Parts: sequence; C-alpha cells; structure tokens
Amino acid sequence: MTQDIFELTPSIREKWPFAPRYARVNGWRMHYVDEGDGDPVLLLHGNPTWGFLYRDVIGPLVQSGRRIIVPDMIGFGLSEKPTREHAHTLDGHTANLVSLVRQLGLTRVTVVCHDWGGPTGLSFAMSNPDRVRALVVMSTWAWPRPPAEFHTRVFPWRLMHAPLVGPYLLGRHNALAGRGIYLSVVDRDKFRREAQSTYEAVLPDTETRLLTWVWPRWIPLDDSARAFDRFAWLEQELAKSRLPTLIIWGREDEVFDAATFASRFKQLLPHAEGPHLVTGRHFLQEDSGYEIAGLIRSFLDRLDQRGG
Amino acid sequence: MTGVTVVAAPNLSGKRFAFALAEDRVGHYPEFRDYFVQVFELDRIGLAAPGFVRAPSGLTYALVFIGRSGAPFPSGVEIHAVVDALEPIADEVLDTDLWSILSWMIEGVGPPWTLKDLEETGRLYRIPAVRPRSS
Repeated sequence: MTQDIFELTPSIREKWPFAPRYARVNGWRMHYVDEGDGDPVLLLHGNPTWGFLYRDVIGPLVQSGRRIIVPDMIGFGLSEKPTREHAHTLDGHTANLVSLVRQLGLTRVTVVCHDWGGPTGLSFAMSNPDRVRALVVMSTWAWPRPPAEFHTRVFPWRLMHAPLVGPYLLGRHNALAGRGIYLSVVDRDKFRREAQSTYEAVLPDTETRLLTWVWPRWIPLDDSARAFDRFAWLEQELAKSRLPTLIIWGREDEVFDAATFASRFKQLLPHAEGPHLVTGRHFLQEDSGYEIAGLIRSFLDRLDQRGG
Repeated sequence: MTGVTVVAAPNLSGKRFAFALAEDRVGHYPEFRDYFVQVFELDRIGLAAPGFVRAPSGLTYALVFIGRSGAPFPSGVEIHAVVDALEPIADEVLDTDLWSILSWMIEGVGPPWTLKDLEETGRLYRIPAVRPRSS
C-alpha cells in the first residue's frame, strides 16, 4: 500500500513542497526527499511520523550547502505500508536504510536520528562506518534495557499496544498519530493548527497504521526480548565509535527525559557535543525545528573547518 | 461487568462474518494468549471452530484463531461480527462492542492488566466508546 504525494491536500503540500522520489529498497517502495548539494545529511524519523517532522530543518540545511535526504520509513509517510505485522522487524528496517544509502551511493553521511530512527539509523552507521561522517541523536535510545520507566508501565504504555488493544486504539482510532503526538509537543495549539491533520492524513485507514503498534512491541522489556541482542550489539559498537556526534534533546521531554537519556548518550559517546536542550517534548522538531537546523548546521560547519 | 458473555456457536444460516479487528501477535504478552486458550479450550478444539461471544448490543462475535508455524497456538486472532448476510453493520455499534470485548478480555486476563487502566487509556486517547469517569 503506497500513498502518493499527489494525494496530499494543497495545504499539506504548501508545508511540504519537496519533490517526491521513490526507491525500491529491500523489496519495498520507499519515498524520500533529496534536496540540495554537498555532503549528505540523512534525517530519520520514528514512530508514528514521517519526513514531514523535519519540514523546518530541511530548508536551512539545504541553504547551508548540504544534500538533505529524508526517507519515510517503510510503513509510514508516503512509503509502502505493509499490512502484515511480520513484515516489520528491527533488522529489516535497518536493511531498508542500508539499501537506500547504497543505491544513492552516499558517503560522508551525517546521520540525524529521532525515536526509532535511532536504533535503525545508528545500526546502519555502526554496520557501515566507511559511509558515515557524523551522528546527531535526538530523543532516542541505543541500549537493551527498557528505555524508560514509562515503557514498563501498564498504563498507558503497555496497554496502548497490548494484544487487540493496539489494533483498536492505534489502528481503528489512529490514537498515536493524532492524540499521541499532540500530547508529546509543547505548543499543542500550534501543533493542532499546523501539523496534526497531516500526520493523521498519511495514515488514513486502520491497516495503514500497523507500524504504530508494532514498533512499541519491539522495545525490549527484558533479556528474552527479540531485539535484546541487537540493542546490546548497538550499545557495544557505539561505545567504540569515535564518530563526531551532536546530542540535541527536548527540555520538556518526560518520556525520554534528558537527564537519563541524553546523559547516557554522553556517557556512551563522551566526545559528543551537547546535550543541547531545546524547547520540546518527545517530538522536539515540532517545537524547535529551526533551532535544531541551526545546531546541526553549526556542528557541521565546525566539522568542515576542522577538515573532518 | 463488561456485558460480554461466551456463547455457543450460533446458527449461521443467512449470516456472514463481518471483519472487525485483527491481532497478528496475540502472545506478545503471553497471558493474553493463555486467556483465550483457557476460555475457548483451544488446547482441545484447536482450529476446529471459532469461539463466540455476545456483546452488549446483542450481536454475536466470532473469534477466529490463527496458527503460525513455529509459534504457540494461537498466534493471532480475528474478531468478526456475525450479521445478516446482506446487511451493513453500524460503525458505532461495532466500535462500542469491540471496546466491550476488549474490556472483557482485560478483566479476564487479570492483574497487572486492569479494567481501570484500560478505561484510563481509552480516556487519554479520547475513545468515543469509553464511559465517562463516574463521579
């Protein structure tokens, strides 16, 4: 199931004027944006968003002389949306990304990741270090223990994606793309006015929303979890990484709170710049897109000056 | 009380199964699978017949269990409303009944899963079928 850019309403296209591009990755049809020239910057979203999350970040980075590539994860945005749960695996999503980067022949990539764009994007980076120049991490995690106390709670987290409850709440009622993001931004009126309907519109039917309840089920809650070993590997590889890294976090993020998560990334990657705190809850790009663009641009300018 | 009861297989003459909801991974939390196994005697019945429940609207729903190679049975479940063959089903009725079936399931699975938490989750996400909080 693939939604085409031409189905987007004029009001959405006004905020998302970028030319649609499609690639066949790992057996799926992936939508992506590819704007500008220069060293590539890969902007990776998570659940339940799509490239639209970075709409305020793309322009300033293009203007700074970079090539900005924004893929929609398979299952989200304008990419193909598989309708079977078993079509989605953590490693499969990383392989999708690997396929796109190899097809585009990208090297010297800066990987900017948020939410599930973290585990997938960082797995890509750790398994393809010769293609990667730098990392930027925002409101994500990369270790096997439960990411937050929030994720161990029955209310609301585990109930939200529990068997049959997930397909009902997040499928029939699109609870995550609508109310879920709304609850996780700072300026809720602005979000409702400018973005909520766009996130909801690209997940129009129950079956298109599958990944919104599948991703939560991939978060390891104990040692027997199916993604435990991949996260353990990721943490181990990151600890060895010397890639220049920038950490940006939402000051008001109460799920992936900065004190726990940004600090842990800093421990894992002590050479990283930051954490830089900006206005934002989990979906910090909604509140601070331009500021985030500025932080990334400055970080990359400094790398350029150092010849990195 | 969720108003949902397990019932015997209805007479299906002149009826159809109207697809309502699917779960590909009923054992994501194994206690959910265990509950269905116990309620519908799935260790004995297996794939031979669906389970049936009656919802508050009076409609009967079929729970069709799905098997998957290499995974404990059942791996998934589909919920279908049993309706008159050529008649549509009212979406509001379906949605309210599904919420009742979810409530019945959560109550049956038991702690740490509670009806109170389910209702709070439904309220948080403004699900129309959830009853207003009693004062």
